[in-house]
Amino acid sequence: MEDGDAGTTKETGPANSGDSSSAASAGNGPDSLTGSHVEWCKQLIAATLSSQISRPGPPDTLNRENKKLPVLAFRTPLRMIQNQVPLLPGETVQLTVKDMVYICPFIGLISGTLTITDYKLYFTSGEKESPFVLDINLGVISRLEAISFPDQEEMTKGLELVCKDMRSPRFAFKFEETQPSVVDVLNKYVFPLSHNLPLFAFQYKETFPADGWKVYDAAAEYRRQGLPNESWTISRVNSIYELCDTYPSTLVIPTNITEEDLKRVASFRARHRVPVLSWIHPESQATIVRCSQPLVGPSDRRCKEDERLLQVIMDANAQSHKLTIFDARQSSVAISNKAKDGGFESESFYANAELIFLEIPNIHVIRESQRKLKDMLYPTIDEAHWHSAIDQTHWLEYIRLLLAGAAKVAHKVESGKSSVVVHCSDGWDRTAQLTSLSMLMLDGYYRTLTGFQVLVEKEWISFGHKFCARVGHGDKDHADSERSPLFVQFVDCVWQMTRQFPSAFEFNELFLITVLDYLYSCLFGTFLCNSEQERVAQEVQTKTASLWSYINSQSEDFTNPFYENYQNHVLYPLASSRHLELWTGYHARWNPHMRSQVPVHQTLKELLILRAELQRKVEELRREVSARSPSFSSEHAASPSGTPLHSLV
Amino acid sequence: MRSEQRLYERSEKGAAGKKGLMKERMLSQSSITARSREMFGLRCLPGECVLQRALMVRKKLTAREGRGWMSGTLFCTHFRVAFVPQDGPKPDDNTDPVLLGDHDVALASIEKVVVVGPNRTKLVSPNSSLKFTPEELLLYCRDMRVICFLFDRLTPDAQVLEITYTIAKTYQPLKPGSVLSFQNAALGSVEMKQFLSNRRRDARMNWFDSASDWEQELERCGATGWRVSSVNDRFEMSTSLSRFIVVPQKVLDTELKKSFAHFNEGRIPRWCWRHPRGSDLLRMSIFQNNIYHEKDDIRNLEMVLFGCQNSLCVVVELGDELPSPSDIQLAHSRLRTLCLGDVSTSVSVPDDKWLSTLESTHWLDHVRLCLRKASEVACLLRSGHLTVALQEPEDRDMSCVVSSLVQVMSDPHCRSQHGFQSLVQKEWVMAGHRFYSRINYHRDNDKEEAPVFLLFLDCVWQLWFQFPSRFQLTGDFLLALHDSIHLPLFSTFLGNCQRERCKRSQNLGQSYTPVNGWRDALQPDSSSDPSDPPLPPVWDWALQYSADRRACFTQPVPPTPPPQPLLNGNLNMKLDAHRPADSAPGSVFLLSRGSFTCPGNLPPWRSSASGVYKKSHRRAPSTENVPGLERLLKAWKLTATCGPQGPADAYEPLLPLLLVPCMGLWRECYLRGALHAQAFSHPVTSNHLHPVERLAQEVQQLQDKLAQLSPGADLDPPTVTTEPRHADANLNQNTNNATFLFSASKPRSVGKAAPPPSSNRHVSRAPPPTATPAPRPGGKDLGGSNKHTFLFGHSSVTEGRADPRYHPPPNAKLPKSDRP
Repeated sequence: MEDGDAGTTKETGPANSGDSSSAASAGNGPDSLTGSHVEWCKQLIAATLSSQISRPGPPDTLNRENKKLPVLAFRTPLRMIQNQVPLLPGETVQLTVKDMVYICPFIGLISGTLTITDYKLYFTSGEKESPFVLDINLGVISRLEAISFPDQEEMTKGLELVCKDMRSPRFAFKFEETQPSVVDVLNKYVFPLSHNLPLFAFQYKETFPADGWKVYDAAAEYRRQGLPNESWTISRVNSIYELCDTYPSTLVIPTNITEEDLKRVASFRARHRVPVLSWIHPESQATIVRCSQPLVGPSDRRCKEDERLLQVIMDANAQSHKLTIFDARQSSVAISNKAKDGGFESESFYANAELIFLEIPNIHVIRESQRKLKDMLYPTIDEAHWHSAIDQTHWLEYIRLLLAGAAKVAHKVESGKSSVVVHCSDGWDRTAQLTSLSMLMLDGYYRTLTGFQVLVEKEWISFGHKFCARVGHGDKDHADSERSPLFVQFVDCVWQMTRQFPSAFEFNELFLITVLDYLYSCLFGTFLCNSEQERVAQEVQTKTASLWSYINSQSEDFTNPFYENYQNHVLYPLASSRHLELWTGYHARWNPHMRSQVPVHQTLKELLILRAELQRKVEELRREVSARSPSFSSEHAASPSGTPLHSLV
Repeated sequence: MRSEQRLYERSEKGAAGKKGLMKERMLSQSSITARSREMFGLRCLPGECVLQRALMVRKKLTAREGRGWMSGTLFCTHFRVAFVPQDGPKPDDNTDPVLLGDHDVALASIEKVVVVGPNRTKLVSPNSSLKFTPEELLLYCRDMRVICFLFDRLTPDAQVLEITYTIAKTYQPLKPGSVLSFQNAALGSVEMKQFLSNRRRDARMNWFDSASDWEQELERCGATGWRVSSVNDRFEMSTSLSRFIVVPQKVLDTELKKSFAHFNEGRIPRWCWRHPRGSDLLRMSIFQNNIYHEKDDIRNLEMVLFGCQNSLCVVVELGDELPSPSDIQLAHSRLRTLCLGDVSTSVSVPDDKWLSTLESTHWLDHVRLCLRKASEVACLLRSGHLTVALQEPEDRDMSCVVSSLVQVMSDPHCRSQHGFQSLVQKEWVMAGHRFYSRINYHRDNDKEEAPVFLLFLDCVWQLWFQFPSRFQLTGDFLLALHDSIHLPLFSTFLGNCQRERCKRSQNLGQSYTPVNGWRDALQPDSSSDPSDPPLPPVWDWALQYSADRRACFTQPVPPTPPPQPLLNGNLNMKLDAHRPADSAPGSVFLLSRGSFTCPGNLPPWRSSASGVYKKSHRRAPSTENVPGLERLLKAWKLTATCGPQGPADAYEPLLPLLLVPCMGLWRECYLRGALHAQAFSHPVTSNHLHPVERLAQEVQQLQDKLAQLSPGADLDPPTVTTEPRHADANLNQNTNNATFLFSASKPRSVGKAAPPPSSNRHVSRAPPPTATPAPRPGGKDLGGSNKHTFLFGHSSVTEGRADPRYHPPPNAKLPKSDRP
């Protein structure tokens, strides 16, 4: 392991499938990305845990976490330092401590060297043969906890790293005196914002062939939807974030609403988040409109402009004379919000509007649910009461509520042909979940690899889901009640849909896991900050790289080989607990017993290549057949590949 | 007409209680029968008799059928409830009869008939009378399907009531003999008998009913040192064993005969399978009659137990750790209740209790225990050169499960359709699993009832689900087999052992003729009436399923065929690093609860009480082997948890993940009838072919076409699923692809050869829409609007749906829809 080169490290691999790919890539030389990609994928799927098993057998290349880093994918020269810590461009080592002990929950104590950089924590065991490697990016750490082992003689002090992604690795110090420096350095780089340091994303110097910042262009996306049209216009009213500081600069609003009216509506809506268009049905012109709760207050205030705006939104769709307002909250909560100057639309003031509560609990309940989930999954899985324990976390129950709510929204738009307004309290949490999920159901474009990126950029990032606050990037206040895994919950819902419709999505599970991993890592600028305004102020787009650059530079790794273009199909997932599953591939991935003998991702990737190959062969054979018998070609026009995938509908 | 009349008499004999009514109805319907063939396109089996029909009925389609509703005519015959779609394809008179059409259900599969009226639901029993006209008819089946028919306003009320009563009165096999009358209804006609007698047995699988079949298996496994013994030819040694058994070559039949008395039911250790590394798998019942008089006696027992290995034998105790048949029965009935729900009682598990309730059935626990035990055994065998003997008190239930699971895990052949069928034939049918009692077709033996075979199918499904690319058979095949169990028509399941299946021929004083073996099979307790219908084996799938459905039983791109096992049985002489160091010859260990022991009375003839053994020359087992074996299992546990270690050779066992979270629920089977899930649909699972498979098929078809076109070509194009064998360059290429697709092990080198995915190639990204115009569904499924809503899954969103194909699920609790 003296080298950092991908090709040569792999040759230390044993005779198992782990190296079948590496052997191939080694043979292929440094020109091919494929080998290292497969390697990389397997590692990501298996995540850090591949290294957590001591193997009686020969060393395994998978023990190396380094290829997880995008660095290798782009053959940027690696900067290696003497203890072989692979570094990203822009990354610097802050501290190296020998004689650390990693307390692995699965195989026991492992001693080795801990290196802390400004991006990651890298632990490697001293063994030459099959080094054990643990590589955790600092962004994922939520809190540092000093622990002690009173009954141990040699080691008494330790450190637990409580992570945001369902694990809590623990270390012990062989020499107590090293503890303060480790804790100091970690504190500084795990919580840079609390120490007036920049996030690592601003120091990361990788360049990618694809530019992810170009993926989402609001105007282009609205143009794709057929906007502007006679009823809807693309407005620059918020171009300097004057109307609403958490909204994007580009908004789609009804044509015949004046700026003045809009400002009055803004003062009536929480956080000035006025009703604006998210999506328009290409045929019925029914729209999904999002906003925040109206500031009705205990005295049942009214706002004529707001009432008129909703009326105009309804009128913009000629197909229906009703408007459905989906309030994501539990009705009791919505009512109690009136006391806090919030509230909901009264059906008697909003003519032809129908108000439906979706009864989805708030961010605190979701956070608590995830905490219970972690208790049950890490470090050990509660096998005896696995199913009832899942029931008790209610995680799937909340997933079900979200999917059911989104399906209701989608159904109203698709079949009811009526426009809908979706809001919760502030319109940036449950609203984003619901609008993005229902758009995913309604519009096949969002089910493509780039379409999904557009969806996340649009409904989550640009519309001010407070990623920074919800994730707590670089902030040490782990008990901050603003934190909540709302985006994780959304991605879990997407995963549930991919399970129910395995061929309707262009991206694969690895893509979803990757997005979630980099949600925490602070390596890319994509999920930084709370709003578009903040991102502009911090020049995120010029100073950091986009996660989509990374993804789109190697998109074949994230592509689902089963994908069929169901552009014109609406997907309604079954929102019954009988058809939902816990996403163990993400939530329970740290447990080595959860990993399969045959890596799924490898199979998928091979399928993808096979599919392309077969496609080519079909075309070739067709040509040949038609060349030999001209009469046959016409007869064979409706060959199996031309038939619909399924005879439904 | 004549045959119908005859049939009627037979059924009268069988179900005398229904006599009067039946007669009346049948006579009144006989004219309809004749007409129905012409007018409504129900293709009757020879001698099948239509009892009642209802027009303008709509059938709710399952996900697999494409969901929605289909209009047509509903029939009730003596044998089945049939549904003929209005605009279905015209029946082809020239094809062989298929017992059940794609939309039919056999009467014997029905468990419960429920009708839904304007505002209530009612369970219909044979004697109940309805005070309302049903709007929907629900048939709950034993195989966990729920079939739903909706009566249109245009359906005459009288027909609705009549057909409901008719189904309710005819479906239940209430009395002994009703199974026979059911069989007669299906297979009893002269034409049908003749047709069945001309059926050829599938030669692609091994039936294990002749000595040569067993020899063939020995050869396939490369098992030397064993021979096929016909010592039990007349079932005199053991009534429940098969006629031929495989025993060590060095034991003579005369010596062997003395061993039978020492085992429960005479089920002596018999060879089942050899691992390519040279280990043998044996199974036996518990020891009994522990009085050993002669040294020879013991010498023979030792030889039988050790088989061809001299050194090491591990006895795997199956009794304690695995679920008992009654556990399995209890778990399965709970699972049924949970999954099916129950309209008539409106009991349904709430969503937030679903997983807890599933847990409390313990079904998945049982599945896991079986897989765990089988994994242990598979790992033991992998270490090479030992004998593993599965021991169960009766050797007729869990040892069938474990021995066959071990082979599914370790032997790629058993993961193909025909290999799997042979396996079931070997380890279940011939080994004497009491199918007849365990399935309890007559509902007269509830104590014995236990769906052990269904538990096994679930275990296989788990393996398939975790390693789909290592199987040539598919989930559809497992489902078809699952459903066939509930049809009392197959000789495979209508007997407890080979002796019962050949009873008739023995009674007639003839020797059993393997050629027509299955035709002689007969259920045990019936009289040997020569006019009883001949019962086909379940493996004659063409009787049950149309060619289209059968095509889904196997993958179009089969996994790589494994390398031929070497004749010396030692595929790999390199022994595992963890193989116990040179063990003393003749050691016997007991594997129980995950650890090895060597109790003094194992085998009992070695115990101190039996003085004879002391005089023999064998050394007492040395205990230092125990740690070695422990290491072996430990190594397995580590391997099982180790990451992507795709089996390097094809015989590396597939070790499933065994944590509770890794046990899946066989939704396609258990939840297809769940009321909430009736609208359940996967666009892809509903059609089994995914894009790659379809392309593979097309390549095959085009190649076939090409072969036909080219001069001097073989005029018999191979079928889609057969492995191409000609040395055509293209075909080879195709095989290569299959290789690298389905075995994750060596493939890289092969895979490299195929498509060169250069670094900057964007093509290997899933064919972008523009690049592949072909496989898109491309709006040709419906004219008019090109925006389809075909996946309606959310049961609570029911109101106001414009799509004419959609109707709310038949759940009375749901809000009423504005039905047209």
